[in-house]
Amino acid sequence: MAMPGAIKRMLAAESAAALLALIAVFVIFSAINERFLSTLNIDGIVVSASISAITGLGMTLIIAMRGLDLSVGSIMGFAAIAAAELLSHGVPLWLVIVSGLAVGVGLGLCNGLLIILLRLPSFVATLATLSMILGGELLITHGETVTIHSALFSRIVISNIGGCVPAAAVIAILVFVLIWLIFHRTPFGRHVVAIGGDIRAAVGAGINIRRVTVGAFILVGVCAALSGLMTGAELQNADSTIGAGAELTAIAVVVVGGTSLVGGRGNLFGTVCASLLLASIQAGLNVANVSSLYEDLVFGSILIVALMVDGLRRGTRRRGMLVV
Amino acid sequence: MVSGAGGLANGSDTHSDTHLDTWATPSEGGQSEVLVRATGMRKHFDGVEVLHGVDLELRSGQVHALLGENGAGKSTIINLLSGRLRPDGGQIEVYGAPVEFRNPLAARRAGISVIAQELELVPTLSIVENVFLGVEPTRHWLIRWADARRTVVTVLEELGVNAKPDQIVGSMSIADQQLVEIAKAIVGQFRVLIMDEPTSALNLSDTQRLFKIVRRLRATGVAILYVSHRLWEVFDLADRITVLRDGQRILSTGIAEIDVDGVIRAMLGSKSSLMGMAARPSRATVPAAPTAPPALALDAVQSGEVLHDISLSVHAGQVIGLAGVLGSGRTELVEAIYGLRRIDAGTVRLNGKAVELREPKEALRHGAFLLPEDRKLEGIFGHFDVRENVILSFDPSAKKVRKSSESGGSETATLQRRRSGLTPIHLQTERKAFETMRKALGIRCSRPEDRITALSGGNQQKALFARAALSHPNVLLLSEPTRGVDVGAKEEIYSAIDRFAEQGIAVLVSSSELSELLRLSAHIYVLRAGRIVAQVSAEGTSEGDILKLMAG
Repeated sequence: MAMPGAIKRMLAAESAAALLALIAVFVIFSAINERFLSTLNIDGIVVSASISAITGLGMTLIIAMRGLDLSVGSIMGFAAIAAAELLSHGVPLWLVIVSGLAVGVGLGLCNGLLIILLRLPSFVATLATLSMILGGELLITHGETVTIHSALFSRIVISNIGGCVPAAAVIAILVFVLIWLIFHRTPFGRHVVAIGGDIRAAVGAGINIRRVTVGAFILVGVCAALSGLMTGAELQNADSTIGAGAELTAIAVVVVGGTSLVGGRGNLFGTVCASLLLASIQAGLNVANVSSLYEDLVFGSILIVALMVDGLRRGTRRRGMLVV
Repeated sequence: MVSGAGGLANGSDTHSDTHLDTWATPSEGGQSEVLVRATGMRKHFDGVEVLHGVDLELRSGQVHALLGENGAGKSTIINLLSGRLRPDGGQIEVYGAPVEFRNPLAARRAGISVIAQELELVPTLSIVENVFLGVEPTRHWLIRWADARRTVVTVLEELGVNAKPDQIVGSMSIADQQLVEIAKAIVGQFRVLIMDEPTSALNLSDTQRLFKIVRRLRATGVAILYVSHRLWEVFDLADRITVLRDGQRILSTGIAEIDVDGVIRAMLGSKSSLMGMAARPSRATVPAAPTAPPALALDAVQSGEVLHDISLSVHAGQVIGLAGVLGSGRTELVEAIYGLRRIDAGTVRLNGKAVELREPKEALRHGAFLLPEDRKLEGIFGHFDVRENVILSFDPSAKKVRKSSESGGSETATLQRRRSGLTPIHLQTERKAFETMRKALGIRCSRPEDRITALSGGNQQKALFARAALSHPNVLLLSEPTRGVDVGAKEEIYSAIDRFAEQGIAVLVSSSELSELLRLSAHIYVLRAGRIVAQVSAEGTSEGDILKLMAG
């Protein structure tokens, strides 16, 4: 039985903004340079969007829970490096992938435990683990790049299924469906939202806050690890620069996708749209011959607009109120 | 009763399955079955015992009213019965079997549901999601939303709530949100319902609707513990009354065996003398010279769709009341005067000067101070201690602290020099100012460093009055000044308001309690659908007269 309410909400104004912006970006950039619509470019957009969407989907849950995970970028890097090292030691590919995802489970578990045991705000705890995980990466690689010699591993991500759909997109769609089900159709998913919406009510309803918190951080850890594995497969090498800054991209796609930073809501479809939007803009600036040095400026501006829209949507019902 | 789809989680860690079976069958006719028996309940905080061995018995098909002043131990009892606190002594039995609630979930599993004063709903979730929060019916890990929704539709219908199960709870009125809480209890097939001040935010018709529902629940054999400050409600609804005072049970009796006076005497004990003051004290009529402009004057004020053509005036030293049902514009009017709501047309004059109020700080600069309706949300700073909360808008450079018993008109000139953010305040001055206020208003706290949230509602409100006094307003705006405050503290707040007026402060009181308006104010403006429909003198007017005007 479908859930019409959830579907309606998914398509509601929140994600519509990102979707409309996405269409506008396509129209504008293809008008500037028709190369924007080339298969190569579109494939690039889809693969890059898929990778950021997967981490973004996990982050959507964390933000819906009124938390933040700043360590996702470093988890991406760690998973990619772990996979590269294992592959270079001749470990079979399936075991490498499972281990890579297990890295995500482990690091997510660490984040979750730090938050519930030390009662740290999630962004502080994950800021610390971000630094520690990065340090671990440097210790393992000695700051060098590990080459990935597995054609199959790369093909899993970059090959085109049926000649047109990038495999990465298929993975992202599967992750989307899975997380959508978890988010909207399992008690765990609703408890995540309840904690972000009103933690007192969640406690009163008998929800095990600690368990749900740890679960959510494990989930985002696995998502990040998967993104990291895909990045490594795409680049065919791994070093500590994989995932650098990815935490900001992940937060950006969630917010631009219409999920409010104050928690209590999550818009998974919007996150996917926003991932496509940001990837399109990045590729568009590239084909329009705008220096990549401007990318960050553009992304920052988009983030400000998205936050403004979020503020307007929540309604500054009372005038003269500033939230600092 | 409606059978919940999936209902409450099966299994319990506090008692055996046989007891759960007993829960499933409501008592037939036998109204005297004891569902919950608490004996010798003790609890202390920081070494101070606040509950000295209280007994309480909840029977099926009975509304049991729990009364007492703030601090008498009502909340503590509720928290013990709902697993939010663990007793230091005593025994709770459910269906005759001793239980120990380690957390709220354990109490819920034992069939005890609490509707707290601050509703425990997730505003961003829908009705059905809230009703089934924590007890979602699942199959193969997935929630069966269709079943859940069907159940909720039936229950909402039964409760007379006109809403779709997918409606987001935050968009509903407080009254309807409360019914969502009741729907939660019905769906969970709870046999014991604890209601803490359920009517404090409801208007008359919503209260009547709630009473009907409570009576129906009682008829199905639910045991209800009903906590309220409104005595008439209790006598309307309850079968049994228990009065607590200072952590002890003073009396527990059938409703037929006692009257209002008896209950008040039991609640107040030696303090009953306070009740003598409950009658409106004869007060000298407005001392202000007729030539002086009113401290607050509104002329044909209009605000959006909620306020139309509002004209009123409050002179220095006057207390003026605002009456009206929820949605009449009563609350909105006060907000507009304080700059919280756009004024589209008309003028507001403070001390004779037309002012444009875009935000509260401008109202403050002109000497107006608002004590908000929602104390928790807009009034107190929960992270701060009592002293910090009181001292917040204190400006020692403006004026020496005025003992509120001493008189002296307030001068607008002093208000011009509101403290700039960086001027340091002497801790000593601050302490003295706080002490003065604490004594003058009778704020009961063990130390000034107590978190304000540790105080009872009445004392929190007094702290806000102290804050108001320290900001030396000449217009004091009050919205529901005694919401959630018990009889004794109420009277103290009333006399504080009297003293504000005696000092020449113009006071505008908006309240849903008519007795309060009649007790406090000289004149009462009655609002209906955003307009002032009448202005009556408190003298010789009855609550019934005003009710009629409010209803139109």
